[in-house]
Amino acid sequence: MTLPKGFGSGGTGGSSSADVERMIGRRVENMTGIITASYWAALMATAAGTAAGYFYYPWAYPTASGHFAFIVLAIIESIGFIFCVKVSEEGSNKKSNGIIAGSIAIAIVFVLYVSIYVGW
Amino acid sequence: MINTMAQMPALIPKEVEIQRLKKVWLMVIALGSIAASVEVDNFVDGSLHQTSIRDSAFTPSHWWLYSHFIALPLGWGAVALYDRKIPILRGPNNSMNTGLKMTILGYLATMFTIGINEMWHFWFVEEIFSVPNHWMFNMGVVVAFIGALAYVVRVYARLIELGAETPGENPYIAEMYKMALEGKLYSRSIP
Repeated sequence: MTLPKGFGSGGTGGSSSADVERMIGRRVENMTGIITASYWAALMATAAGTAAGYFYYPWAYPTASGHFAFIVLAIIESIGFIFCVKVSEEGSNKKSNGIIAGSIAIAIVFVLYVSIYVGW
Repeated sequence: MINTMAQMPALIPKEVEIQRLKKVWLMVIALGSIAASVEVDNFVDGSLHQTSIRDSAFTPSHWWLYSHFIALPLGWGAVALYDRKIPILRGPNNSMNTGLKMTILGYLATMFTIGINEMWHFWFVEEIFSVPNHWMFNMGVVVAFIGALAYVVRVYARLIELGAETPGENPYIAEMYKMALEGKLYSRSIP
């Protein structure tokens, strides 16, 4: 197979597994760390965004409404997080169920804490 | 023999293509989550307008609503940049994928109309759904979502073609996938 410029053995058309690895770069199954970090960043941004609503504009965005939004968005983000890790690791030997379960469990505690104690 | 599907040559190694398609798919999941949160904001926005009727670009539910129309086009723009590395997804004449074109054009229409909408509301305060300044906004969102759906379906179909994804376990759905891959999906209704 002819590979893009800069890959392969220079005109002979051959491709080695090293070339394939270079074209792939970081494999999706090795992205669990960045996916988990992104999930936590999204959750924190969601908490901050809804808090900005009910702390600064309580006349328009009551605390209950903000917490409702935070809970539903946390659920959406958690589903997206699970899908991302599952899609990236399917077909490989990697299993990160512990990371998923741990992250979701901490997120549940965090969301419950915010919903019960913050902003009232 | 008549081929019912275009026979695409393999331009990059299969493993490379699967990895790149999956990276696109991760971005699709992230953008899908953002789009799902628009639906949540529909309820928040509706709740707001039960108590505070007058719209303003600075009401909290509108920050949330309008920031999607920045986040989603930026996300699809990022997908479009990465998409260039997957030959099978290119559009006519090696241009951008047609679905992505529709998506970006739809969001451009939406963002343009936000400005038009503000100008209109300078004179006419009432928020009536069917007023002309809302037309292109809503049509833009629909075009953007349809284009994104077309792109997502194409990526998923290619993952199935490459054997990286398994069609649904429901035998009727599996049959539909099989027929689609053979180019015969519509042969029952369109002979």
